[in-house]
Amino acid sequence: MKKRVLLVGGRRKEKALALSLLTQGYRVTAINDTLEDCQKLAEIDKLRVLHGDGTRLSVLEDAEAGSMDIVIALTAQDEDNLVICELCKKHFHVDRTVALVSDPAKIEFFHRVGVDSVVCALSTITSILAHQARMDQFSNVVPIGDGGVEIVEVPVSKNAPCIGKQLWEIQLPEKVILACILRGDKSIVPKGNTAILAGDLVVLIADHGQETEAVRVLTGA
Amino acid sequence: MLKKNKKGNDKYIVIIGCGRLGAYLANTLADEGRDVLILDRNEDSLNKLYDSYGGLTLTGDGTDLEVLKEANLDKANAVIVVTNNDNANVMIAQMAQELFQVDLVIARLYDPERECVYREFHIDTICPSTLSAMRIDKILSCGEGSGDEAAAS
Repeated sequence: MKKRVLLVGGRRKEKALALSLLTQGYRVTAINDTLEDCQKLAEIDKLRVLHGDGTRLSVLEDAEAGSMDIVIALTAQDEDNLVICELCKKHFHVDRTVALVSDPAKIEFFHRVGVDSVVCALSTITSILAHQARMDQFSNVVPIGDGGVEIVEVPVSKNAPCIGKQLWEIQLPEKVILACILRGDKSIVPKGNTAILAGDLVVLIADHGQETEAVRVLTGA
Repeated sequence: MLKKNKKGNDKYIVIIGCGRLGAYLANTLADEGRDVLILDRNEDSLNKLYDSYGGLTLTGDGTDLEVLKEANLDKANAVIVVTNNDNANVMIAQMAQELFQVDLVIARLYDPERECVYREFHIDTICPSTLSAMRIDKILSCGEGSGDEAAAS
């Protein structure tokens, strides 16, 4: 049976998400409290649209919230998204509730009161930046072949988790090769039983996107 | 955990939202000699307090955890949430319970439907329209019962 999804609020996000879910074969219902937005949503084929305040029990009831597999709260107000998810979870016993949150400080609280998934744009951006900073700090990346492959230089400090381990013991991502170890003024082409020592400079050849995981495995950062 | 500083009768009460009800409660409770803090995101709202109001005030958004920390919510014996937004009241009440372990949290909800649900969630809720309906009902039934007396006098 087709999974049923209820979207509540969220202007352009609601429309884009509705379209994407419909093409993936979900049955989608959208609630919006702005008449203008509802009219735009109503142009979408196969989308059920309800005009009303999705934080109200009667509106959720009209939308048959109780029969939904997933409810996604997309309004701009954190408190509204919380109430939508709580009513759906605790009153309508929806299996999976998802809330958009603008204040990162509330993510943990939302989880604690029972929202299944909490999505916060700001914390996602923050973690991307932190991650980038970490990459900048720990390694030197040279893209080759239009950036599809990268050569990555990773300095190994004395408290890195890979210290003393032989290569076969280190679980690097699949599309990453440990190509070379620079130790002092020597360069070593490593074999399975070569151990990594503190102060080594490890050179990786990595498929684009796998380098960060490889750096994490080697340095723990 | 840092336990609440419950010394004798010095109850610390935080009121969130300085509308008519919030201001009235703050004035009354402060008059009774309780430790009161009232906060509102709008500084002008705090003008509703009497000049003689002896409690604390704070300007800030009650849905902001930093503001709640600044209000020392963790030390509060009771929190009364009476902003004009039901959903904000629900969220603040739950944050007070879950994150600041406040024993007594009372929230006003205008919508009687939601009130029923949140009562199940163990938040003490007050719904003005439900209260008014009960009161009117009582007056009406009293009126019927005492109809003869009223006519006699």
